[in-house]
Amino acid sequence: MTADVRDIPLSTTGELQAVVGNVGAVPGQDWVIVTRGITRDYDMGGEVVRALRGVDLAVRRNEYVAIMGPSGSGKSTLMNLVGCLDTPTSGENWLNGSLGSDMKDDALARVRNREIGFVFQTFNLLPRATALHNVELPLVYAGVGSAERKKRAVEALERVQLKDRMDHRPNELSGGQRQRVAIARALVKQPAILLADEPTGNLDSATSEEIMRVFEELAAAGQTVIMVTHESEIAAHARRVVVLRDGRISSDERREHFVKRLEK
Amino acid sequence: MKILDRLKMLSEGVVIAFDSIRVNKVRAALTILGIAVGVFVVTGMSATVQGINSGVSASLAAAGPTTFFVTRWPAAINSCNGSADSCPWRHNEPLSLDDAHVILRQPGIQSVIVHVGSSAQVKYRGNNLPSARVDAYTADWTEVNGGDMAAGRNFTQGENTDASAVVVINVALRKQLFPDLENAQAIGKEIMIGANPFRVIGIWDQTGSLFDDADEPKATVPFEAAYRKLRFGIRWLDLTVKPRDGVPQDVAMDQAIAALRVRRQLKPAQDNTFFVSTPEKVMELYNDIVGKFFSFMIGLSAIGLMVGGVGVIAIMMISVTERTREIGVRKALGATRGTILWQFLVEAATLTMIGAVAGLVVGGALTYVIRANTSIKASIPPLAIVVALAAAALTGILFGLFPAYRAARLDPVEALRYE
Ligand SMILES: Nc1ncnc2c1ncn2[C@@H]1O[C@H](COP(=O)(O)OP(=O)(O)OP(=O)(O)O)[C@@H](O)[C@H]1O
Ligand SMILES: [Mg+2]
Repeated sequence: MTADVRDIPLSTTGELQAVVGNVGAVPGQDWVIVTRGITRDYDMGGEVVRALRGVDLAVRRNEYVAIMGPSGSGKSTLMNLVGCLDTPTSGENWLNGSLGSDMKDDALARVRNREIGFVFQTFNLLPRATALHNVELPLVYAGVGSAERKKRAVEALERVQLKDRMDHRPNELSGGQRQRVAIARALVKQPAILLADEPTGNLDSATSEEIMRVFEELAAAGQTVIMVTHESEIAAHARRVVVLRDGRISSDERREHFVKRLEK
Repeated sequence: MKILDRLKMLSEGVVIAFDSIRVNKVRAALTILGIAVGVFVVTGMSATVQGINSGVSASLAAAGPTTFFVTRWPAAINSCNGSADSCPWRHNEPLSLDDAHVILRQPGIQSVIVHVGSSAQVKYRGNNLPSARVDAYTADWTEVNGGDMAAGRNFTQGENTDASAVVVINVALRKQLFPDLENAQAIGKEIMIGANPFRVIGIWDQTGSLFDDADEPKATVPFEAAYRKLRFGIRWLDLTVKPRDGVPQDVAMDQAIAALRVRRQLKPAQDNTFFVSTPEKVMELYNDIVGKFFSFMIGLSAIGLMVGGVGVIAIMMISVTERTREIGVRKALGATRGTILWQFLVEAATLTMIGAVAGLVVGGALTYVIRANTSIKASIPPLAIVVALAAAALTGILFGLFPAYRAARLDPVEALRYE
C-alpha cells in the first residue's frame, strides 16, 4: 500500500476539481452543493467588507462536512449562500441542481423550503408555538394538509426522542431539547441537506455531545450534513473538514487527516 | 401557496393577533376603541335612522297617495322665537270649519277631514287617566289614519253633525280603561271625557307610526261633539284633503288654494295666508335633515376609523420590529413574501375586526334601549353590519399594508441576525 488516500488533501482530487471548474454546467446528480468562485461583499457605507473572496466547494450526497475557521473568516456567510438565504456578489452556487445565484426572493424561499433544513446556534424556535407546531412550520409553507402535517411532525420528533414533549413550548424545554426540536423541524421535510451554523454554540459540552450523537445517527442514515463550528472537537465528528481563512478555503481534508494534524 | 393553505393560516394569524394585543394593551385598546367608535356610530345611527324612516313612511302611506294637508303653519320645522320676522305665519288667520266647507265644495275634492288634537281627563269607574290624548275628527278620519276597527264602528257623518256623545278608543286606551274586557265587550260602555259621558262605539286597532305611537292611549270623538260639548279650541285646526279618484294632486291643490284665496279676499300680489303641503314635501324635508345627519355620522365614523387605522400602523410596526427574528426564521423555513404579507394583514384585520365586533355590540345595545324606551322602531339594518365589518377589515388591511409590506421585504439573513 502506498500513501493512504486519506492523507491526500481533498480539494486537489481531480474529480472535485472537474466539477468545480466546469463553470456554467449543471453539476451531476451526485453533487448537492457546488460553488464556483463565489464572493460576497458587504458595502458598509463606502467601505467594502469582502467576506468571501472566491470559494470553490463541492459536496456529494451523504457527506458529513464541518466548516471551521476563526471568527470573521466567512463561515456564516458561506452557509447563508449555500443555504440560499442570500445570493453571492459573483460566482455561482448550485443547490441540488438549482442555480441559487440566479434566483429572486420567492424562488429562493421555495428552494429553501424544498431542499434545506436549518439548525441555528440560538435554536430560533417560535416562542409562542408548541414544539409540534414549530416542527410543522416547513410543511405549512409547503402547503401540506394538517393531518399529514401532524403525522410527519410527530415522526420527526420521534426521531429526536421528543415525542412526549411535543405539546411543550420552547421555554418549557432545556437547551438540548430545544436544539433537538430545531433538528426535528429541519428534518421534517427530508431535505437534501441539513445545514447547521454552530449548532452546539449555546450548549454545554455534555449536551453538545448529545447533539453530535444525533448528527452522527443522521449521517449514518444517509443524511447530507454541513455544519459550521469553531471547535475542533466538534469538527472532529464530521468525516470531512473544510477550513476557511479570510474568505478563502485554506484546507479541505478527511477527518483522519485533520485529526492527525490536530494531534501534532 | 394555494388559497386554501392561506385560509388554513388564518387561524394562526388570528391567534398571533390576540397575542400582540395582549402584549400591547394600551395601543391595542386605543385601536380597538377607534374602530369601535366608528362602527358604533355607523350601526347605532343607521339603526335609529332606519327606525325613523320606517315610521315616517308608515305615516305617509296611511294618508294615501294624492292626499295633501292645509295648515296655518308651514311644514318646515323652523325656529320661532316669537318675533314677527321669525314666524310671520303667526299672523295668519286660523283655519275654520267654513274654510273646510269651501274646499269641500270644489269639484276635484272628495273629502276634507278636519282635525284638532287636545287632551282631557278620561275615566271609566275607577280607571282614571288624568290627561289622555283626545283627537277630534270629522267622520272620514279612518281613511287617512293607518289601522283598522278591531270592534264596533266609526261614528257617522250624522253623528258628527249632531255632536253625538260617542267615542272611538284605541286598543291602548281600552286596555287602560277596561283591563279585564275584550275589545268587543267594551262596546256600549259609557266613559267620562272631562265632565261629559261618551258612549264607546268602536275600538281602533291603530298602526303605530313615528308621529303617532300606537301604545299611547287615545280617544277619537266627532269634531262637533268636541267643539260644542268639550269646548275644544279650534284655532289650531288642520285639514287633510283627499282628492276624488282620478283627480291629480296638483289640480286638486290648485282648486283648494284658489277657493281659500277667494274666501280670504287675497289680492294677486299677496302671499297665501295658509300653507298647503304634500306628504312628499314632508318627506323631502325629512330626507334633507336625515341627509345632513348621515354626512355628520359618516364624518364621525371616518374619524374613528382613522384613529383606529393609525393605531393599527403603530401596533403593527411594533409587532414587525419585535418579531424580526421570527420573520427571518419563517423565511428561512420557506415563507415567501406573499405568505408573510398575508400573515401580517390577517393580524391587522383581526385587530380591527375585534374593534368592529365591540362597536356592533354597543351599537346593538343602544338600538335595544331605543326600541324599548321610544316609539322609534330602531333596528340595525343587516347591510350596516356587513358594511361595518367590511369597513373595519378594510381599515385593518389598508393601514396594515405598510407594516406588512415591510415585514415581507425583510432580508432573511439580516432578520436572523437581528438582536
Ligand atoms: N450583514 C453584514 N454586513 C456587513 N458585514 C458583514 C455582514 N455579515 C458578515 N459581515 C462581515 O463579513 C465577515 C464574515 O462574517 P461571518 O459572519 O461570515 O463570519 P463567521 O466566520 O461566521 O464568524 P463567527 O465565527 O464569528 O460567526 C466579517 O468580517 C463580518 O463582519
Ligand atoms: Mg458565524
